Order: sequence, then C-alpha cells, then structure tokens
Amino acid sequence: MHIVDGALSNPVVIGGAIASVGGIALGLRALDLDRIPTAGMLSASFFVASLIHVPIGPSSVHLILNGLAGLMLGWAAFPALFVGLLLQAVFFGFGGLTVLGVNAVNIAFPAVLAGLLIRPMIGRGTAVSGAIWGGIGGALAIALTTFMVAISLASSGDAFVPAAKLVFVAHIPVMVIEALLTGFAVLLARKVKPDLFFQSALA
Amino acid sequence: MTRALILLALLCAPLPALAHKVIAGVFASGSAIEGEIGLSNGEMAAGVEVIVTGPDGTELGRALTDADGFFIFTPTQPVRHDFRANLGAGHVANVTMPAGEVAQILGVAAQTQSPAPTAPATGPATGAPVLASLSPAERQVIAQIVRDEMRPLRREIAAYRERNDLQTILGGLGYIAGLFGIGFYMAARRKLSS
Repeated sequence: MHIVDGALSNPVVIGGAIASVGGIALGLRALDLDRIPTAGMLSASFFVASLIHVPIGPSSVHLILNGLAGLMLGWAAFPALFVGLLLQAVFFGFGGLTVLGVNAVNIAFPAVLAGLLIRPMIGRGTAVSGAIWGGIGGALAIALTTFMVAISLASSGDAFVPAAKLVFVAHIPVMVIEALLTGFAVLLARKVKPDLFFQSALA
Repeated sequence: MTRALILLALLCAPLPALAHKVIAGVFASGSAIEGEIGLSNGEMAAGVEVIVTGPDGTELGRALTDADGFFIFTPTQPVRHDFRANLGAGHVANVTMPAGEVAQILGVAAQTQSPAPTAPATGPATGAPVLASLSPAERQVIAQIVRDEMRPLRREIAAYRERNDLQTILGGLGYIAGLFGIGFYMAARRKLSS
C-alpha cells in the first residue's frame, strides 16, 4: 500500500505533493475544535494499524483503517492520515519522504470520498443498517486506494491492468477485515455516541 | 458466508505482502557480484528481473533472481554498478556497488577518472601475507564457505533492523498526541480571541 521512494516518476511525485497540500488545506479548514480529538485518535489508530499484520497463508497484509477515518472525519481525515503517514515513514520506514504526498493522496482521498458518499447513510436507519453501511465504506476506501496506487504506478510507466489486479487482489482480505472492523466501530459509535455521525453530517 | 470469506482469504494466500520494506544487498562473490532481494518480512523476491546500469545510465546487463531471491551478475567493466529491480506494486529495490569494489572483483585498479567516494579503503595488501600459502582455488573455496556461513547472519541483521519495538511505537503515538494537542491549543485560542 505504501509506495516506496524511487518507484514513481518525478511528475507523479510532484503532482502528489501538490494534491496533498491542497487536501491538507481543505482538511484543516474542516477540522474544527470539536473534531480535533477525534482526528488525533484516528491518526493514532491509523499509525498503529499498519503494524498489525494479518497472517494469510505464508504471507501477511496489514490494516490501513482509512475508511473509518474518512467516515468519521470527512475532509478532516486528510491531515489526520497525513500525520500518521509521515510518522510511519519516519519511524518505521514505510513508504518514504519523497513519495509522502502521493501516498497521502492515495490513502486519504479514498477515505474522504468514502466519507462523503457513505456518511449520510450511516446516520440513517437503525444502528445495524448504519454498521452495514460503515462496513461498505471501509471496504470501499481500501478498494479505491488500491485503484489509486495502480494509477500512480501506471502513470510512472507500469502497465495499469496487471498492477491494479495485483494490488487489488492482495488487498481483498484487508477489505474484508476492515469492513468488519469499520462496521463494528460504527455500531459501537452509534450506540455509545450517536451524535458523532449526525453532528458531522451537518458540518 | 464465513466459509466463502475463508475461501476468499485462502485464495489470496500465495500473493506477496505489499506492506513491507524492500531489502536488497550486493556483495562480491569470487569473480561475480552476488545480490539478494527480498522484503523485510523474510519473503524473498523470486524470479524478478534485475536491471544493471552503469554510472551514466547505460544498461550493463540483466539478471534474474532465483527462488531464494539471489542473483548473480558478472561485471565486465570496473565502473559503478546500479542494480534496480521492480517487485511490483510500488516496491522497487535499488542497490549500488561502488567502482572500487567492482574493480576488486575484476582484479583491476579502479578507473582513476571516476573515483568512487564510497569505495571502502581495503588495500589488497592487508591480508596477503597470511594467505600467501593458499592457492587462489583454496581462497575461492574459503570465501565461498564464509559467504554461506554469513548468509543467515546477514538476513538476521536485516530483519533485526526492520523490527519495530514498543519504544518506536510509543514515540510515534507521543508525536501524534503532541501534534494534535498543539492543534487543539491553537484552535482553542482562535476561538477564545474571536
């Protein structure tokens, strides 16, 4: 999921950096006082989630949890995920500093998109139907992220279809796990703090 | 449903993990350059094409990794060798062997017009008196044995370097708490002053 330094061509890296600056600016504007603690929490969970490796056969994949951040924060997920990515790059060496912009866009933009599309559904209906929508949002964010990663690689010269297929198929288990996790998180949030989604839908 | 999910998960089993750092190394191996490419979780890159280029970007040759992620490349020119392998999905391995080391492999002096700054200062004379009684063939055999013995160690060191301990994680969490604390402080101040 994290593209490493040197894998992308310069125009893609620069384009990603510019896009991420725009996204962060939009996100900071959406980040009001009430939502800063939530953003911090989600940033921390994103940071740590990447260390949780889910063993699947001889291999393993790690969680991303960008869908959850997008559903709870909308545009404000952008700076939250950016901070998580920056610290992952510095502390764990995931990705790299030059490709930080591209990685931020690849991970945060699908989160924001999932948030904008799915969040209105989560506040509606019963808690269970909200949780199901939450699960769909969690899986959708990962699917879109794999798609964005494939686009980044394709615009740097890789063939699009095999790259997209490889990244997408490898992340199907992540999608399943994150759909369950996000679904349960939404279920819990709807029961414990129902205004989390109603209030954020207004902003 | 659960069965379908498990089946789905099993279907994905042989795919490479895409969430790891790329580890790559090259070292002298007799008259050839031996390299190793893999991911930080211990999985090696099998059947990956390694493209070797010189300092000016011209292609010097290609090599293919075996099942253990090893490849062998025989250099012909005493120049800096850049090894690049694309493992797919955004994972690219980049390693460089300086001209001095390549020259040692070839048994010729490094080209004086392009001195490699990173070339280690290993004079060929240091070990010579001790090894004087050994024939070149014997030396080759000893070098081969030492390399084989070193391989698991080298892998372990690479894995150790990739380990994320609790301290790092707590440090990162501390940074997040601090950053969002500062953000909270600034937002609160702005709200108070307005």
